[in-house]
Amino acid sequence: MSNDTTTPDQVAPAASRGIVNRLGFDRFSALYVLALFFVFFGITEDNFLRWNGSIEFVLTEKVIVTMLAFAFLVPLTTQTFDLSIGANMALSLVIVTKLGLETDLPNGVGALIGMAACMVIGLLNGLVVVKFGVNSFIATLGMSQVIAALSRLIHDGGQIAGALSDTYVNFGKKDVFSFSWPGTGSEISLPYYFFYGLIVVVILWYVLEHTPLGRRMFATGGNREAARLSGVAVDRLTWGSLVASSALAGFAGIIYSWKFNAYTSSVGPPLLFPAVAAVFFGASQLRGRPNVWGTVIAVYTLAFGIKGIGLRYPREIDWMQPLFEGLTLIIAVGIASRQAIIKVRKRKGNTVTDVSPPEVNAPAATET
Amino acid sequence: MDTLIRIDHLTKAFPGQVALDDVNLTIWAGSTHALVGQNGSGKSTLIKVLCGYHQPTGESSATFFADPAHPEGRPLVLGDAATADAAGIRFVHQDLGLVEMLSAAENIALGVGYVMRGRRIDWRKNSDRAREGLAGLGFTDINVDMPVAMLAPSQRTAVAIARALVGWEDGAHLLVLDEPTASLPGDDVQRLFAAVRRLKERGVSILYVSHHLDEVFEIADEVTILRDGVRVTTTSIGDLDHERLIELMIGHRLERVVQSTRERTGATGGLTVTGLYGGTVAGVDLHVEPGEIVGVAGIMGSGREMLVPLITGQIPSDDGSVVVGNTAIDNYAPDHALASGMAFLAADRKTLGVIATDSVRHNLTLADLRRHWRRWRLRHDLEVVETHEWVDRLSIKTAGTEIPIGALSGGNQQKVLFGRSLRLMPSVLVLDEPTSGIDVGAKEEIHQLIDEAARNGAAVLVASTDTDEIVRVAHRVVVMRGGQMVDELTGADMDVGNIERAQLRNDSKAGTK
Repeated sequence: MSNDTTTPDQVAPAASRGIVNRLGFDRFSALYVLALFFVFFGITEDNFLRWNGSIEFVLTEKVIVTMLAFAFLVPLTTQTFDLSIGANMALSLVIVTKLGLETDLPNGVGALIGMAACMVIGLLNGLVVVKFGVNSFIATLGMSQVIAALSRLIHDGGQIAGALSDTYVNFGKKDVFSFSWPGTGSEISLPYYFFYGLIVVVILWYVLEHTPLGRRMFATGGNREAARLSGVAVDRLTWGSLVASSALAGFAGIIYSWKFNAYTSSVGPPLLFPAVAAVFFGASQLRGRPNVWGTVIAVYTLAFGIKGIGLRYPREIDWMQPLFEGLTLIIAVGIASRQAIIKVRKRKGNTVTDVSPPEVNAPAATET
Repeated sequence: MDTLIRIDHLTKAFPGQVALDDVNLTIWAGSTHALVGQNGSGKSTLIKVLCGYHQPTGESSATFFADPAHPEGRPLVLGDAATADAAGIRFVHQDLGLVEMLSAAENIALGVGYVMRGRRIDWRKNSDRAREGLAGLGFTDINVDMPVAMLAPSQRTAVAIARALVGWEDGAHLLVLDEPTASLPGDDVQRLFAAVRRLKERGVSILYVSHHLDEVFEIADEVTILRDGVRVTTTSIGDLDHERLIELMIGHRLERVVQSTRERTGATGGLTVTGLYGGTVAGVDLHVEPGEIVGVAGIMGSGREMLVPLITGQIPSDDGSVVVGNTAIDNYAPDHALASGMAFLAADRKTLGVIATDSVRHNLTLADLRRHWRRWRLRHDLEVVETHEWVDRLSIKTAGTEIPIGALSGGNQQKVLFGRSLRLMPSVLVLDEPTSGIDVGAKEEIHQLIDEAARNGAAVLVASTDTDEIVRVAHRVVVMRGGQMVDELTGADMDVGNIERAQLRNDSKAGTK
């Protein structure tokens, strides 16, 4: 419960709340949880703090989910859901892989074709949502099955591995730097695609938080008709955000192709949940609305948590992972909504100044 | 007359603020008691204590006299929903609280429970009960099996009242109506009043909360005025006139401002509307010259309610042209209208104006962000500076530029939206119900902003159901009937009586609805 209206000094009497405010437990809860993981698993698991033990694995592996989470985040700013992102990721992956397997096209061109195909899907999503007025949740859920059909037409089940050239794979997978950590002999390195992902993070943060475009997208999500009457081109923004979403999902597929050089039909859609969860978990962080850095923090908090659990309970991780992801999402968003409810009650009691909620326990139903 | 409820020394303090300070209130059986005051005067807190949402502080007490077992009165616990319910105090809150997708019969059943036959719901009896309850209020034209979303605003209000009363035929003693006309078009208010009078005849007392002082004079027997949490006075409505009531509410005399007359200069430019058709509007021609304020009056259905939406591109028009200066505005394109120098406020602040969860700053600057776009960055610091300037200039009461606009009072929200428009330096300003749901003090401030915009050379069009408002701000008023502008009043002819007569005049043209 942040105090928008008073400085921290003024709330000094309410000591406990003051501390919560100052340390930012509310806005940075995920970072505290992440720190907790590092302390706990760092002590109990030898491999957790080793670069090759878990850190490198988590940092690089989760670039893909991060991109997919962004694919969900961008249209969400305009209050539009894109549930076709997982299928879209698979589409770009199957296109680049299949073209690599059966044609002489350079793989880079294949990747561009894959991205282009995804963006065509984004255009179609926009057409259905904006022009035909179909609810985005329904439209993109349906579209995800259409894309799945398309992927199966391109490649009928089974696995493709090693179809892509070394030149292509190295474009993403080659290490930017690599050195030995003095003393331990640990090999520290990070691949190019990690930095490509970082560039996307920075660009997206800049666009959403520091440009009129981002402001207009959030305004569209906040009150579509009010935004339109303020001159915001809400339809174009919605449409554009769906195309951007598909492009990001396609890029996630390309990163997958660099990292694994393989395709199976089970890649893509299963990543929808972690991506969506990260966005909503991330929305409870920092700004209290979907945001870029909150999403990144959420992805990596969940990932390090799962890695730690995996090290500690290697045999149970199979069922513990979805349990952990699901519960974290519910708890994080639950805490955030509870704070939002308290804030609202405070404001209803008194519209101007900071007021502690004297009747938090009063039934809300009598209010309206 | 008998006393129904007496409340003594009602006090409610929030940390740092006393919302109600030692308020005494006596409500007579079978009377209509109006509760008036500006926003923040304590009206809503008083209602919330009555309905049990807030607990009173200190010595507050209440006595209830309608219990036959206690003719001398028995104590009534304040701040407890169940006690209020048992004493027959019923509430209709401002937003009505209806479930849109359920029928009137079902909404009513949410209050008292369904009529059952064994374990099954007896749908026919439920519908009968709803029809009876509504007929008791004088509403016999409601299809009680249709989702309430499809009902007219006055019918919805009736359903909410019926829900409060059905099943309480003998036990209902006091009905609290909180701003019941807030979302009602003018003619529907009369239907509501008829229902209120019927209840009164049945011996039910009414506590009536409203911003509309005309309504208070029409419906109330007695009025209690609150100001800053203190009861100023309770008096019979006959002892007050309009001016005196406002004076008591705001604590000083409100200078009655009347718009000065202004001759048309014949200047071109400004706003030109030609042959406009769409919805209830059937052929409007209009020219507002720079510096002129034109008021548009008309009852619901006259076309007045759709004129501004059509001009500003909120809804698409069927035919006609809208020209700002020399630029013809594309149909259904608010962005084009804004880019051409037209700024506007839509009638419904909540759904068409504010982005409630977003900050005051974001709401203010939304329509033009380019001026803070420097060196590839949206300069938040410059925005904050500009927002502070507007907060000062428009006397917006807010705890800061970064708090959600939804936390502000209606009048202050409206001022932020005025800021959103005025900072565009519009050559044409089009306003729809600019002060609906706003208290008296803030109203005059907004009227002064309108004056100022015109003095600075804007052509201003104001559509309003509030005839006083039109007389106050407009240089000339056009009256709509049957989708067309049929009368024009200027100078001394432009008074409330003439405008209202012109609105209701029956002629052959007014028959398209």
